[in-house]
Amino acid sequence: MKKHVKAEVKVKVKEKVMVKVFIICILYLYLLSSPVVFAQQEKAVSLYKESVKFSEEGNIDRAIEVIKEAVNADPNYPEAYDHLGYMMLKRGQLDEAISAFNSALKINPRMRTSKTGIGLALLKKGDLKGAESVLKDALTLNPYPSMTHYALGLVYEKLGDYEKAIMHYKEGIKTYKVRIGKE
Amino acid sequence: MRGVFGKEKILIVQALVFIVVFVASFIHTATAQALLQIGAQAPDFSLKDIEGKDISLSQYAQKKAVVVLFWSTWSAKSPNALKRFEDFYKKYKDRGIQVIAINADNQTISNEDMEKIKNLGKELDITFPMLLDKALKTFHEYSVIALPSTIIVSEGKITYELPGLPLVGTEDMFDYLLVLAGEQLKKKMEPKYKPRHDAIADTNLARGFVKKKRYEMAYPLFKKAIEKDPKYMLPYVELAKLYELDGKRTEAEEAFRKALAIESENVVVMSELGYFLTKTGRTKEAVEILEKAVKVNSYTPAHYYYAYALAKNGQMERALNAFDSALSLNPYDPLIYSLRGEVYENGKMLKESASDYKKALGLILKIKE
Repeated sequence: MKKHVKAEVKVKVKEKVMVKVFIICILYLYLLSSPVVFAQQEKAVSLYKESVKFSEEGNIDRAIEVIKEAVNADPNYPEAYDHLGYMMLKRGQLDEAISAFNSALKINPRMRTSKTGIGLALLKKGDLKGAESVLKDALTLNPYPSMTHYALGLVYEKLGDYEKAIMHYKEGIKTYKVRIGKE
Repeated sequence: MRGVFGKEKILIVQALVFIVVFVASFIHTATAQALLQIGAQAPDFSLKDIEGKDISLSQYAQKKAVVVLFWSTWSAKSPNALKRFEDFYKKYKDRGIQVIAINADNQTISNEDMEKIKNLGKELDITFPMLLDKALKTFHEYSVIALPSTIIVSEGKITYELPGLPLVGTEDMFDYLLVLAGEQLKKKMEPKYKPRHDAIADTNLARGFVKKKRYEMAYPLFKKAIEKDPKYMLPYVELAKLYELDGKRTEAEEAFRKALAIESENVVVMSELGYFLTKTGRTKEAVEILEKAVKVNSYTPAHYYYAYALAKNGQMERALNAFDSALSLNPYDPLIYSLRGEVYENGKMLKESASDYKKALGLILKIKE
């Protein structure tokens, strides 16, 4: 009986030691990998900035190449997917744009610019009702939704509802002024 | 004892950090808010010329003066401006005068635009650098209000600004350049007015407070600026706008009128007063003042405020023509489209109105179509 109890205690001690070793290993791996992760994140941010610069200069092809590198460096970087979406939108690759925006939204469901991006892509695809619905949803995510109002204005202009288009364009101007403190 | 000193040290460090952050926030606001004006530091830029070579403003820091000419192929007066400056440059480039032309044809320069620019350069035999302003960054940094527009930079500061190429103003500007080049003028030249630095600083700080909606802090600063330099028009205009924003219309008009009493021909004051009067329903008075303002020089807001006043006064055809002349001076000002959009909306021309409001918002958000 005593032997049996002793054996049980031994097993429990062994288990405890194993758990401790496991935790230490995990911590060690984390500590080892975190500088790598941070370095990759930093690399992604710098690539993102570079891509934005290219897009501002009108070099969309290069902007896409660089932002794809950013996504590879940090696959959990919603802003990079969002930017990729807008670049694809500029190039008229609408399905790829929607896919990039959805990737951003998977990581951050409150990524309002991505919602607006999907709305713009649907508008370009001619799905006006779909665009209207997504953009109305995007309005609720954004305290200063000038860009979303702009996109909704485009939708209503296409639908021939000029009154609503005017209303959204004016709201866009107004929210911008509020944001910069002119009103 | 050590503990007490330690706490004091921490408090001192915290206070210093707070002061640094507080001051820095104002410096940033003031810089971002500063209107480009005579006496202000000229923002440096580095742009590619039509041959792809990098040219910056700072590389000409040793020159007596650098003329920065903003122009476009679509503006009627730009070729004349380029020609006049080329003639001047040929004569005076060895006397410390540098000319730089910055093209503002479009947000992005297409191959077609590039061809037009190069052709015009060849046709006019331009020998000074012709730069391309991608995304119109420098155009916006210099708050250009009309094309062509000339800015003269001397010792790193803006010493002369001239929107358009008006008959009288242009000759004065070339006289000013001749003096800088060391020529003796036959006629006596009036020294160019420069606002006092402390008045500029107070005005910029006050504008920062307005932006932060801290009106109670802005009022005394604008008033101080006026006290320090009663000839400096900007604080009057800004104070009047603040009064209007704050719902104090009588005081707003008073501030405009005080400025006009000092400088009756100031185009900015006339324009802003005209716009103010239009908004308060005194359209006839507004039209009278703005009619004078559009004759002074090519100050774009004078033209679109005039158009807006005409429309409110029931003179639609003349209004639309005046909007067109504003657009021929500067098609990148969103307020032109916004006001014309309102005019169309009131006239039940909804399609045209929507199109104009879209353009206005697109320009505000810098959307490239």
